[in-house]
Amino acid sequence: MEDLTQMDRAMSTQQDIKISAKNVQVYYDKNHAIKDVNVEIADKTVTAFIGPSGCGKSTFLRCINRMNDTIDICRVEGDIRIDGEDIYDPKVDPVQLRAKVGMVFQKPNPFPKSIYDNVAYGPKIHGLSRNKAELDEIVEKSLRKAALWNEAKDRLDAPGTGLSGGQQQRLCIARAIATAPEVLLMDEPCSALDPIATAQVEELIDELRQSYSVVIVTHSMQQAARVSQKTAFFHLGNLVEYDDTDKIFTNPEDPRTESYISGRIG
Amino acid sequence: MQSLTTLLFVILALAVAGYFLAKSRALQVAGGDIRGLVSLPSQHALNTVLSTVIPPLAAILLISLYLRLTDGNGSWFFTLVVIGLAVTGMALSLIGIKQQARARTFAERWIMGLLIFASTIAIMTTVGIVLSMLSETINFFGQYDWRRFFFSTEFTPRFQGDSELGILPLLWGTLYVSFIALSFAVPIGLFAAIYLSEYAGHRLRSVAKPAIEVLAGIPTIVYGLFALFIVGPGLRDYFAQPMGFGDSAISVMTAGLVMGIMLIPFVSSLSDDIINAVPQSMRDGSLGLGATKSETIRQVVIPAALPGIIGAGLLATSRAIGETMIVVLGAGAAAKLSLNPFEAMTTVTVKIVSQLTGDTDFASPETLVAFALGLTLFVITLGLNVFALYIVRKYREQYE
Repeated sequence: MEDLTQMDRAMSTQQDIKISAKNVQVYYDKNHAIKDVNVEIADKTVTAFIGPSGCGKSTFLRCINRMNDTIDICRVEGDIRIDGEDIYDPKVDPVQLRAKVGMVFQKPNPFPKSIYDNVAYGPKIHGLSRNKAELDEIVEKSLRKAALWNEAKDRLDAPGTGLSGGQQQRLCIARAIATAPEVLLMDEPCSALDPIATAQVEELIDELRQSYSVVIVTHSMQQAARVSQKTAFFHLGNLVEYDDTDKIFTNPEDPRTESYISGRIG
Repeated sequence: MQSLTTLLFVILALAVAGYFLAKSRALQVAGGDIRGLVSLPSQHALNTVLSTVIPPLAAILLISLYLRLTDGNGSWFFTLVVIGLAVTGMALSLIGIKQQARARTFAERWIMGLLIFASTIAIMTTVGIVLSMLSETINFFGQYDWRRFFFSTEFTPRFQGDSELGILPLLWGTLYVSFIALSFAVPIGLFAAIYLSEYAGHRLRSVAKPAIEVLAGIPTIVYGLFALFIVGPGLRDYFAQPMGFGDSAISVMTAGLVMGIMLIPFVSSLSDDIINAVPQSMRDGSLGLGATKSETIRQVVIPAALPGIIGAGLLATSRAIGETMIVVLGAGAAAKLSLNPFEAMTTVTVKIVSQLTGDTDFASPETLVAFALGLTLFVITLGLNVFALYIVRKYREQYE
């Protein structure tokens, strides 16, 4: 077993695979929400999940950081590995896993705390800084990476809920970056934002690709085409097609993908 | 009185008649096709009923008020006025039934009037209570020096007069009992609420929440008996006597503990609602950053729910301050200033009862002091409630 894991790890570094999922099934009570999904997500890439509502793309995303554990009736089967390590292994602490796999949600959800405390929340919990100065540095770095520093540096003590929608979402991204994750999951991060804020967040996602493996769920096919390098199309709980974004949008293999892209279903 | 009942029946009969008359007349005006009507027959009927009932009822209220003020007697003239109003209201609205008549909007105005009346009554009652207390309190301070009332440390009423009527020992007792009750009820209630809303499974929650709320339905006199026969002797035998705090079964501790039990469902069910109102996205955000459940609760959920929880605490405080029965049976009726929680003490509310139920002359300061005590208590709880509202409003928009 040990050997297998190591072999697996060696292979993944070779191909730069960050997340690999095999035969993943998810059930909500009796409802079979994800059917036999196999996917390999590369490091330092933006991977987009597209598909009609209720197709299971968000559910699958939430499997990657075990957020589905918080839903009582949800059951996950199959094998999901990050860097070759089975994240559903009983030895894995989901709390530690979530520090490594950050998540940004559909609706901006800053805590009712100051901007500073919002960003410092994760580092404080995980003890990532030795003193106040280091913490300050982490907060500044994260806000800079999230392209919010210039707007927020003079009002770090102001409540995070007082920011505009787009700023709030960038604050949530800064908050996720602050715990130094390796993977960033984004569940429709722009669906509550106006086009200008969306453009800012998209630009940010493109920059984040330098340091993280980003997985984004989106309803907007244009957005998937703009920000991602790889695209996975989900339909009725199945992963229909997974390929380079250019290929999916110009020359899809499956007829279902083709009809979704061209707007005939979904 | 007899005639008033008859009068009300007459008005009611007119209203019922008006209902059917209006309905049939509306149908008749419409010529059998209600699509031609601006308002439906039932809306005309509602308008007729309201116009038949409301003006005479208002007139009855005004007339009885007038008679009370002038010490007059009811006469056939007033009866005639009332019935006349009812008939006129009914007739006018019946005549008003036309194709284009907007009975809906007229009925709307009557209903708005009724609602305004209801809210006025609620406000006027509060004002009335304060005013009546105020006049008796002024009366009391005419006979008794206010400095002695507020600063004397003794409360020893005597039948012969020349009593010492200081509020301090009573206020001390009230605050002491409430403090013990709250320091018992707030943590337990809050923790129970956190467990139920964050940790407990659906099935446990659906059993445990009503079970806790049953506590709120127990009459306070039953709590008092519990204090008198079980908690009091128990505390005396196992704590007070062995530790040398005295040998009184009735004590501040007894009343405080039992009152605390009474307040648990208050705190827990209010906090539970408030904690449930914290958006799930808030918890997801924290869990998604790798926080544990208890870190999430301590650092995100509770701070977000804090204004509501404080509000619940202050509401419980108001209850504790106003509680009487548990104190009479649990802590006794001896006014005393002492720090020992195992000694009998008493509260403002208990003394209000005992001063008003004695057989002293009503105009004597010994009786009138009850009003001064009551008003002081009212001011304190009012202040607390205003403070609670202020806190809740100030922090309400923290999330969302």
